[in-house]
Amino acid sequence: MASLMPAVVAGAQQPPAQAPPAVQQAPAVAAPVEEVPAAPEPAAVPELSAGDEAALREALAADADADPAPEPPPIATAPAPGPAPIRSAPSLNPDISLIADFALAAFSDVDRSRQSGAHDPVANGFNLQQLELSVGAAVDPYFRFDANLVFGLFGVEIEEAYATTLGLPHRLQLRAGQFLTRFGRRNPTHPHTWYFVDQPFALGRVFGAEGARGLGAELSWLSSLPWYLELVTSTQMAAGEASARSFYGGSDPGVRGPLDLQQLLAIKQFFPLGDDWSLSWGISGAFGPNGSGRGNRSEIFGSDLYLKWRPISRQSVQVVSLHTEWFYRRRQVPEAVLQDVDSFSEVFWRFTQRWAVAARHDYGSPIWDSELARQPDELDPDWTDHRHRFAANVTFWPTEFSRLRLQPSIDLPLWQDDPIYAVFLAFEVVTGAHGSHPF
Amino acid sequence: MTTRPLALTLFLAALMPAQAALAELRVVTTTSDLAAIAKAVGGDRVEVTALSLHTQDPHFVDARPHLTLALARADLLLQVGLELEVGWLPTLQTGSRNARIQRGAPGHLDCSQLVARLEVPTGRVDRSMGDVHPGGSPHYLMDPRRAEKVAAGVAERMAKLDAGLAAHYRAGAARFAKALRSARGGWEKRLAKLRGKPVIAYHRSFAYLADWLGLRVVAHVEPKPGVSPNPRHIAHVLMLTRSQGVRAILQESYYPANASRALAERSSAQLVIIPGGPDMRRGESYLDFVAALVGRLETLP
Repeated sequence: MASLMPAVVAGAQQPPAQAPPAVQQAPAVAAPVEEVPAAPEPAAVPELSAGDEAALREALAADADADPAPEPPPIATAPAPGPAPIRSAPSLNPDISLIADFALAAFSDVDRSRQSGAHDPVANGFNLQQLELSVGAAVDPYFRFDANLVFGLFGVEIEEAYATTLGLPHRLQLRAGQFLTRFGRRNPTHPHTWYFVDQPFALGRVFGAEGARGLGAELSWLSSLPWYLELVTSTQMAAGEASARSFYGGSDPGVRGPLDLQQLLAIKQFFPLGDDWSLSWGISGAFGPNGSGRGNRSEIFGSDLYLKWRPISRQSVQVVSLHTEWFYRRRQVPEAVLQDVDSFSEVFWRFTQRWAVAARHDYGSPIWDSELARQPDELDPDWTDHRHRFAANVTFWPTEFSRLRLQPSIDLPLWQDDPIYAVFLAFEVVTGAHGSHPF
Repeated sequence: MTTRPLALTLFLAALMPAQAALAELRVVTTTSDLAAIAKAVGGDRVEVTALSLHTQDPHFVDARPHLTLALARADLLLQVGLELEVGWLPTLQTGSRNARIQRGAPGHLDCSQLVARLEVPTGRVDRSMGDVHPGGSPHYLMDPRRAEKVAAGVAERMAKLDAGLAAHYRAGAARFAKALRSARGGWEKRLAKLRGKPVIAYHRSFAYLADWLGLRVVAHVEPKPGVSPNPRHIAHVLMLTRSQGVRAILQESYYPANASRALAERSSAQLVIIPGGPDMRRGESYLDFVAALVGRLETLP
């Protein structure tokens, strides 16, 4: 059986084939199928008139896809008659995909740039944002297993590796292993599902460069209500500079009891507003100990709203979406309670099959105490005022498996005299059998 | 004293519809054509939900979370297979938390197992060839002969899941096959004039229709499956259309039509837009769908 897995895997299960594949009929089950002769090679054909050519270009533009013509491709043919192919046994290999994100970046002041995502471009010039190896398969009738290993130029990180139950009773589901916390809508996702090249700074500030994640277990329940309502709770390790910075962060006093772990409670709801509109709304809360002193705790509350318009009741390739998330964080520190608000809001418009534009606003407040007096923050000592960042984005997809993005941005930390300008040109490729994404 | 038996009767009567409802097999299908076939087989003893509309490109359905609700209750999931739904169905299946419809369970049926597949690549494939389907083309329900095989397979699976009604399901499939065969004779006669005639297709999705009707697909508007048309390729297709005397440009309603329309305007070919499947909301059956398809092809010169 032919496979779309990367060659390193595909090669293990099938002999190397040099010739381009012949398209053949494979009678898996005997059926009265009449053979059809192969399409003849295109004969010599007359030139097109200039008028025809111009009109065709116009029509293509209307179909939203005029682009520089590649080399004339071979014309696909109808099935050629021939012997049935010999297929190898179905494979037990997991679905494997490799995703690479590269970016060319330019910052107005690279030394003062404040990119907080672990996969953000951070240097002037070329950046490898990540090379993600995703592996997923059913383990047995009861579990499936998914892993995302992220390679940088100098190391590997186990971003996620978890098992999910497939059929617990009462609509329950368990996940266990290392996984991204299902706080809000953006945190549990990977960079290749983002419209923007970098991570909203709220996630970096509140959870850490990698977003909230850790070793632990999660239980979720899909309610029997007439609309989609899912309750999620998880318990994960509370240490990690890049994944739990508002909790234990870089300090790790160890686990002496359940209160030394971080807990998540989340409600996810979805409302299909007719065929073409979708609305999802979530509320999340994360609770855990912090490293500022014995018994001190942090609480993070969030709400996420996602509205999407994608006409499916008629022919259209357009998509418009609005996504906004807000975070409110409270931390007990010696002799004070620190609080701050962070958010990001994105608008996205795919106006043709291949092109989209998007805009984003990031916001982070200063740190206040319970009397709303500004306080210094050990985690971000210079963050003493409001911060806004505006980014625009243009995306071009040659196909669904590759995309090119141009993203200018202006970052306005109000405690700094000058804004930071940045431009990213990012290129992404997806190969192999990549799993389906949640909505 | 007489009120007690009455109350009991009323109580039992109240229970009756609930029991009838429980006897129903809940079937979820990925596409509307599969839904129509499942309905034809199961009749009023099955409740059928399609996860996508006939106006939607089945390759690119959003995994909207509410779709898991139907899957969570389903006894049987029917999918087209051959990677047609690979971009969205697995998420919904896992999210449904329903062991009955997971891959490998009796309540999951990949209907591509039931038909002879076409356009199966034999050598190494990769995506430089476009969005290829390594197991073969998944658009087999455009061929009523294959739909008949699917109905028979679906009936067997329903019979396995709901043995008490096995005869009912088999009878449904037999009735469907009979109706389809008798209609097919007429359809094939009406479209006999197209046998061996060259046509252009937008996407590589007409192998089975061509196989049934003896059409010759000589080119595609997409340069490669899933890759949008570009001017140079379209110019080439136009020249081919003219030189080969192509009669028709076929495409499903969910693809953009301007490039095909421009081709049609500049050649003798006629643009034929085919519905993506039966409109379940209007109660269309699979036969209605094929009849509509035949009706549109019949207008060709």
